[in-house]
Amino acid sequence: MGPDAGARVDAVVIGSGAGGGVAAWVLARAGRQVLVLERGRDLDFAQIGRDHLRNHRISRYAHRSGPDYEDGPRVVVEPTGHERLVRPHEPGFHGNATLVGGGTRLYGAQAWRFLPADFAMASTYGVPAASSLADWPIGYDDLEPFYERAEWEIGVCGDHTAAGRHWRRAKPYPMPPLPEGRQARALRRGADALGWDVVPVPLLINSVPYDGRAACTRCLHCVGFACPAEAKNGSHNTVLRRALATGRARLLPEAVAERVECDPDGRVTGVRWVDRSGARHTVETDVVICAAGAIETARLLQNSPTRREPDGLGNNHDQVGRHLQGHAYVWALGEMDEPVHDGLGPGVSIATLDFAHHNDGVVGGAMLADEFTVLPIAFWARNLPPGLPRWGAENKRYMRENYRRVMRVGGPVQEIPSPHARTRLDRDVRDRWGIPVARLSGTTHPETLRTSAHLTDRAREWLLASGARRAWTAETPLALHAGQHQSGTCRMGDDERTSVVDRWGRVHGHDNLYVMDASVHVTNGAVNPVLTIMALAYRAAERLCADW
Amino acid sequence: MRTPGPALRGVTPRQAATLSALVDTVVPADEYPSGTAAGVLDYLGGQFGRDLAGMRAYYAAGLDAVDAEAGQVHGTSFDLLEPARREELLRALEAGGTRTTWPFDAAVFVSTLVGHVMEGFYADPGNGGNRDAVSWRMIGFEVRD
Repeated sequence: MGPDAGARVDAVVIGSGAGGGVAAWVLARAGRQVLVLERGRDLDFAQIGRDHLRNHRISRYAHRSGPDYEDGPRVVVEPTGHERLVRPHEPGFHGNATLVGGGTRLYGAQAWRFLPADFAMASTYGVPAASSLADWPIGYDDLEPFYERAEWEIGVCGDHTAAGRHWRRAKPYPMPPLPEGRQARALRRGADALGWDVVPVPLLINSVPYDGRAACTRCLHCVGFACPAEAKNGSHNTVLRRALATGRARLLPEAVAERVECDPDGRVTGVRWVDRSGARHTVETDVVICAAGAIETARLLQNSPTRREPDGLGNNHDQVGRHLQGHAYVWALGEMDEPVHDGLGPGVSIATLDFAHHNDGVVGGAMLADEFTVLPIAFWARNLPPGLPRWGAENKRYMRENYRRVMRVGGPVQEIPSPHARTRLDRDVRDRWGIPVARLSGTTHPETLRTSAHLTDRAREWLLASGARRAWTAETPLALHAGQHQSGTCRMGDDERTSVVDRWGRVHGHDNLYVMDASVHVTNGAVNPVLTIMALAYRAAERLCADW
Repeated sequence: MRTPGPALRGVTPRQAATLSALVDTVVPADEYPSGTAAGVLDYLGGQFGRDLAGMRAYYAAGLDAVDAEAGQVHGTSFDLLEPARREELLRALEAGGTRTTWPFDAAVFVSTLVGHVMEGFYADPGNGGNRDAVSWRMIGFEVRD
């Protein structure tokens, strides 16, 4: 099936997640021979498991779903200058799931469109000193048709009417939202009391049978785990599957892209990759599409220096790897009089967008929503009130009486990017294949924390209005946020001195090198980013095919 | 209190007795089973051969130190103390209040131990603890499929 791994192909797609899956599908459908290189393994449901100590929600020990412990660490430079090696499952690694399908295999699948103001942060709020806040070169209207296509081709459930209060939408969602549970009903009452607007959370999950696959079984292991019913729509069971079904795409798991090869004129000619035995191969290609995530895509470009671009492809203006961002997550927990846990996943269900923008005195904001079903060990680790003993009879009693009563409201604060938050190649440390590892440094811009404080107060307010007898939270620390929402390292722009790719995802100065993942995000939105990654990949890949 | 499983053979009988008593101080019995009755020692035994293999010496030294502390404060071993005295002693250690010389920070040892015990009690039974998902039934986390 698909091109032979040793043959010349039309396009190499590096990464099989949200962006890579869409890119492979669009190109294969258009008749192109596509090779998808995925560094992770092709894992089944049982291999990923429901291990409460080894998953991408709470990773106490080495992941079962990649990146593997043996793959190699990253180097983190703390704000104090102290350097440390961080293993893939440890805090500070800023990893994403590394397997076929990437993060989409395990994600919570929130399917938000970016808000129109998300594309125009600098012109809406001004640019805070020392930040790299900027507008996107494109706007919501440019992406709207591709959001719609992602919603239909990959599959999103949601409430078209409610969403229509926040976005111009031409077409309804293909599926209705999941029914509201106790959590949502309590929060809806609270929002009504406060006069806030709420919307059901759109999800890349089948609320009814769709595309030949079953509806969500409402199990308790959604985010961080694979779906037992394949009702969660990721790359692996939608676009990537369709790409492979054309017979023109081939997927190689456990294939690590090491270097993008160029001719002396800077034209990309191929990709050197490493197989599971450590052997090197080079595949010749007309086009290379990087979709490995913001850290790995930047690392690949940086690890591909040429005489013309000694610091890596697209990096003559020292932009590749900068502006690394994700989301600063704010949260509040509330203890309710009555149980709100009703044993029905996925848990996240209702959101307000009233504080995503135009908050007095701060830049940007966040969507706020309730939380996915919390694993018991994660509840013990993170959801207990301050002052409660961490062990003993009182701790056990609190767990018993309140696991079903405590709920969390939180959301992804749009970060104010900093040019000093970045990923580079480490000079000394190499991974299991001998490739220099990522070296992460910097933090979000301090302005992000002012926005976070404002949103934290709103989360707490919502819980108290919804009947919480008490609520608690904590300050957001000044830190680097990348991880599952990592973005920004190859930002999109018209000026090659301040950006890496153009408005179509093409790397400045290269006719046939593209980035189709969240690396291109100029800012990362006040909502979860995955639907935007998919929509951007549709848009860029369609343009690439049209111009071919 | 249960006898430690075979996987804990690497520790001395004295250390095993101290560990059992510690586990049931962290998760005491009430209407629901204690930590050892729920299989936490089985979990720890498995982990000492796996993810926590590198921490066996640390644990052995910590268990000895807890026992020495009990001897200094009460003149007996930790496992022979009344439950209330065990809790009192562990709270003191957690707050850094040691009466003997420790090879490392006692508070860090307590928080490390507590974290591992809770993993054994609240994580999925597939990890060797949480026998018959007893802690999940206790709190109302009911997995249907």
